[in-house]
Amino acid sequence: MAAPTRRGAPGGGPGGAAGAQQAGKKKFFYRRKRVCKFCVEKIEYIDFKDVKMLQQFIPERGKILPRRISGTCALHQRKLQSAIKRARIAALLPFATD
Amino acid sequence: MRTYEVLFILSPQVGEEEAAALITDFKRVADGTGAKLTHEEAWGRRRLAYSIQKFNEGNYHLFVFDSDSSLSELDRRMRNAENVLRHMIVRTDLDHKRAEKLAKRNPKKERIRPAPAFTGSEPAVPEAPVERPAE
Repeated sequence: MAAPTRRGAPGGGPGGAAGAQQAGKKKFFYRRKRVCKFCVEKIEYIDFKDVKMLQQFIPERGKILPRRISGTCALHQRKLQSAIKRARIAALLPFATD
Repeated sequence: MRTYEVLFILSPQVGEEEAAALITDFKRVADGTGAKLTHEEAWGRRRLAYSIQKFNEGNYHLFVFDSDSSLSELDRRMRNAENVLRHMIVRTDLDHKRAEKLAKRNPKKERIRPAPAFTGSEPAVPEAPVERPAE
């Protein structure tokens, strides 16, 4: 009883991996390679006064665009986040819009 | 030496002369505590992203100071001034220093990476198309 389950498990492993690859092709087909805008353009200091730049990371609702969508790296997302929050306090960006 | 950015919004009800008087007053206060004004920007009237005290517009003004001490006196004055809708004092020198450091580090990394990619692709690409049209 133990042997078939063991065989099943490694057998399922490669099978599962191949399935994932095939499924992966379909899934990843739509995805573009996302790169951190700040790393590419070498913007190291994110200014809270630069509203035009910050607005690219503010969807309609007024929330901060998540990293998984914008592709911003962790370091820059953190800086972007604080810049957006500062801009909100200065009434340059909305806290929320409906 | 620290660098501070002071952004404040004056009420749209304040006239030009009054606003100018307030601004010079703030400068004097900062000057009294040993802060040096290095940059000044008048953004003028701007729409607020949300209403503050039922105003939809505000008169934005920006100071950049170099100072050894904090701007607590200016902060207190601005908080008490009725015509200041909002003010914000941000210390920026540390962030700028960090940004400079990062800017110095980045180019080295990038130089190492693209170099082998270019040498590999350059001879392969021109050779192949040249041979085919000759045949």
